[in-house]
Amino acid sequence: MVAGDVAVGFVRGEPDAVRAVYKDYGKLVYAVAFKVLGDRSLAEEATQETFVRAWRGAGSYDPSRELGPWLATIARRTAIDVHRRSARRAHSPLDEETPGLVELPPSVERAYDVWEVRRAVEQLAPEDAELVRLQHLEGLTQSEVAQRLALPLGTVKSRSFRAHRRLAGLLGHLRDDPAEPRAAERRTQFAEEPPR
Amino acid sequence: MNDEERIAYLAGEPGVEAGPDERAELDDLRALLADPALWAEPSPDLDDRVVAAVAEASIGSVIGTAPAPGAQQPVRRNRGRAALTGGLVAAAAIIVAVVLVLSGGGKPPVQFTAALQGTALSPGARGEATLTKMTGGWRVTLNATGLPRLANGRFYEAWLKNHKGVLVPIGTFNQPTNVTLWAGVPPTSFPTLTVTRQLANGDAASSGERVLVGVARPAR
Repeated sequence: MVAGDVAVGFVRGEPDAVRAVYKDYGKLVYAVAFKVLGDRSLAEEATQETFVRAWRGAGSYDPSRELGPWLATIARRTAIDVHRRSARRAHSPLDEETPGLVELPPSVERAYDVWEVRRAVEQLAPEDAELVRLQHLEGLTQSEVAQRLALPLGTVKSRSFRAHRRLAGLLGHLRDDPAEPRAAERRTQFAEEPPR
Repeated sequence: MNDEERIAYLAGEPGVEAGPDERAELDDLRALLADPALWAEPSPDLDDRVVAAVAEASIGSVIGTAPAPGAQQPVRRNRGRAALTGGLVAAAAIIVAVVLVLSGGGKPPVQFTAALQGTALSPGARGEATLTKMTGGWRVTLNATGLPRLANGRFYEAWLKNHKGVLVPIGTFNQPTNVTLWAGVPPTSFPTLTVTRQLANGDAASSGERVLVGVARPAR
């Protein structure tokens, strides 16, 4: 989480402060944009625009609250706008479809979860995050991970268990548990209209 | 299912059984962990582009072409008084902007710099470029050493390139000493600066013979 003076610097558009905020939240913003847009180039466009919008909308930011959720909301809204712009560019004016009506991709619904899981993964040690990536993204078994990383199988097993235990602890609030209302509350906040 | 079993299931360890509800919940988390969006990495220079975009917006707000942070929509008031007040404010803003521009006061100019490296075609070449945002576009001053003078239909050409590989020519020259070029595209979206050797043979495309390469970054 960025310090208060960094947030103040960000509001002023100071390059070092903007860079510090990007360092903490840039990849999270990019992950949300990529989830919504599914395209690297559009996701980068949306990330740039998110930070500019955040700077412009800084008057609505409450410095006593965490910067992340506020940025996440702007990132989601910006990605949706970039998606709409991109979809309109792809249609010629002579298309028979109703102009201006662009359907949102279903991935928008999971943007909040991607933000939360990415944030949790970033809190793992880099070698543990890589192990989790190999297991889940590349679909490797623990034996295959051991071979890929040239580690004993027992080491991979214990590191995998440690990493997943940490993830489970960090992501407990994502459970649809009546005793855990934070997920629904945060999802609602995430979908709120951000500054434009 | 206890916590140990839940974690083992999440980690994909074989032989761990889960009830339908828990399985659905854990499988959902596993699907998120397998989502390419989660692991997608932005270009390494995206931070520079973000910093530059905010700096550009910041300068825009100073000269009145973009809203400042926290700017609110104006509230409708008495039309006559609002028009008069608006006129005075606009006039004052124009005067302030003109004074700032003429005096060089206010914030420093938006500048990018690029350290240029030689390629396999020009291993000893080195250089630097400064890109300054001006009213008419981006002024690029370039200086390099280790490159011979080209003439008789041979020349150098500088380009800005975006991450999709689109090249925009920014000028030609014989020798890279105190050269001033102009770009109509910003380094925020076209951050890579290259210099190629060209022949005046009627083909305006890049020869691909790159002799200098660098990435423009916001000047500190």
